[in-house]
Amino acid sequence: MTNRSILVVDDSAISRKILRSCLPRDREFVVVEAGDGASGLERFREHGPDITFLDLTMPGMSGLDCLAEMMALRPTAIVLVVTADVQARSIARALESGAMEVLPKPPTREAIGGALARAEGRLGARGVA
Amino acid sequence: MSPDREAGFEAVDADILRELMNIAFGKAGADLADVLDMFVVLNVPDVQVIPAARLHDHIGAEIRSQPGISVVEQDFWGDFQGNAFLILPAVAGKNLLALLAPEEGTPATGSTDPYAAMDSLEGDTLMEMGNIIIGACVGKLAELLGTVVSYSPPSVSVDDDLGRAIRADLFEPGYSAVVLQTVFSFGNRDVKGFVFLVSSRESVQWLKAALHRFMAQYE
Amino acid sequence: MNERDQILDAISVGLVTLDPDLRVRSWNRWMAVHSGLPEEKVVGAPLFEFFPRLENRVFLRNCRSVLRFGNFAFFSQKLHHYLFPFKPPRSLGGQLEQMQQSCVMGPIRGADGAILSLFLVVQDVTELVVQERRLVEMNMRDGLTGVFNRRYLDHRLQVELERFRRYARPLSVVIVDIDHFKRVNDEYGHPCGDEVLRALAASLERSVRKSDVVARYGGEEFCLILPETARAGALTLAEKVRRCVEAQRHAWGGRELSLTISAGVAEAQAGAAGPAELLQRADQALYCAKSGGRNRVEAEPVRS
Repeated sequence: MTNRSILVVDDSAISRKILRSCLPRDREFVVVEAGDGASGLERFREHGPDITFLDLTMPGMSGLDCLAEMMALRPTAIVLVVTADVQARSIARALESGAMEVLPKPPTREAIGGALARAEGRLGARGVA
Repeated sequence: MSPDREAGFEAVDADILRELMNIAFGKAGADLADVLDMFVVLNVPDVQVIPAARLHDHIGAEIRSQPGISVVEQDFWGDFQGNAFLILPAVAGKNLLALLAPEEGTPATGSTDPYAAMDSLEGDTLMEMGNIIIGACVGKLAELLGTVVSYSPPSVSVDDDLGRAIRADLFEPGYSAVVLQTVFSFGNRDVKGFVFLVSSRESVQWLKAALHRFMAQYE
Repeated sequence: MNERDQILDAISVGLVTLDPDLRVRSWNRWMAVHSGLPEEKVVGAPLFEFFPRLENRVFLRNCRSVLRFGNFAFFSQKLHHYLFPFKPPRSLGGQLEQMQQSCVMGPIRGADGAILSLFLVVQDVTELVVQERRLVEMNMRDGLTGVFNRRYLDHRLQVELERFRRYARPLSVVIVDIDHFKRVNDEYGHPCGDEVLRALAASLERSVRKSDVVARYGGEEFCLILPETARAGALTLAEKVRRCVEAQRHAWGGRELSLTISAGVAEAQAGAAGPAELLQRADQALYCAKSGGRNRVEAEPVRS
């Protein structure tokens, strides 16, 4: 199995670090990071990651805008929103805009592991190696 | 020795705290919406280290000090301790009262009581709201830091100026406080204000250690 | 009984603990005594079963907050007056029907820090409130005559003018001045003068309605604020007072004296500037009364 490519978009270096540490230890991933919406979008275009982890509250281009752009670029993209803003309204908006799931911060290994498994299940079903 | 070095609170500590605040205030916002039955936004919080002597000016600059502000102040203590301030510019205070006025039939709406001046009703509503909002912010942060805090009764100044509402000598000189701040709004932005959490001298070291304990989970 | 329980029963504050679903977990002796509800009856039952009026938005909001955030909720006497409808412990001159309370609610946590239940502390602050009201009263009243003082007059007139502006309800003021008061003091002495003032104040209070305000305006002047009263009504009332004072005989040191008053009436007009302007117009009318011979009531001329 090829190593999954993962894009992490979050303006907080700490948050990106926390997320990375929640990725399953027993596997290798190709991880690319971006510190804001605009560069996140660029990395998304360049690398075409299998799975994207996206923060909502970012300065400049907001997480929701970034999400919309990504889904427009690739409607089958798998984007997992990881956010501190857990109000029902915000979660609903993210899902409506195309996020596969919304996970609360701080992430746990279990939560990230579970979400990854479901994402890979979807990728597998499409026949993506 | 510069006050900053004495405090030992560095950029990386501020980064961790900022992320924790982001998480804490996100949770607080969601819970507040539930408790108050109203849409609440707690904006991306900021962390700064400010020498105690400059705190008053810092707050004044942040809120773009105008006359007629209302302030709710509450002290919290425990491993993590300090002062919390909720600041509402003049108009917001009146809007808040309109949004949250007690319903008819509660023991006292104050309107028929000749001894309850209108200010008093506004002040007490503000106090209740301030208490809840401060409790949400401090409480959620304390939870993430793995501690529990107690609170003093809040004190309120309605329609005052910053100089009178927050005593300049409130902060013990000679240390650098860790200041956590956010802008909040609720009820469709009719009410917009600021929350400042100012750590006491004693708890800066504890805070630093707690932040590192938090990150240790993710090494 | 263990030490802690003994303390809880001995203290003179109420202590209640509640489950997250707001059933009573514990109820100390103070609560039992003041509610007339013994512990056995209350524990395990929903709080609102015995105190239905507590089931309101504000109380519930605070409970939710404490359960969620672990903060303390303060129920001040000023805003809430009381949470539990108890009788005041002593008859405090019948001023207050219910015990006034200041209450605090907070979280009770388990070993892991999770919030398990709520505590509610109830303090009787009735006596403090009575004292405070006494001070407020004193601050509003004229020491000699017991009617309202100038400070209150100014404040109240401001309020009434607001109401007039907002709802266009008629509002009048009357300034009453004792004729030749200096003579009374000179001939009969100041104690007599004081007595005369007290008598007039009493007379004025008797003549007005509950909603009207009698205040001491100056040394020998009084001011009446008459809400819901237009010029005609104010004139009638002022005339009634004038006749009453004229007819009264006072005895002092074996002698008899009688008095008369002059009065000026003014009604609030649309576009009124403020209390000062209204009072000034009444003053003008008073001046007319004085220069017109005293023992009269005058109103400012009707505007066309």
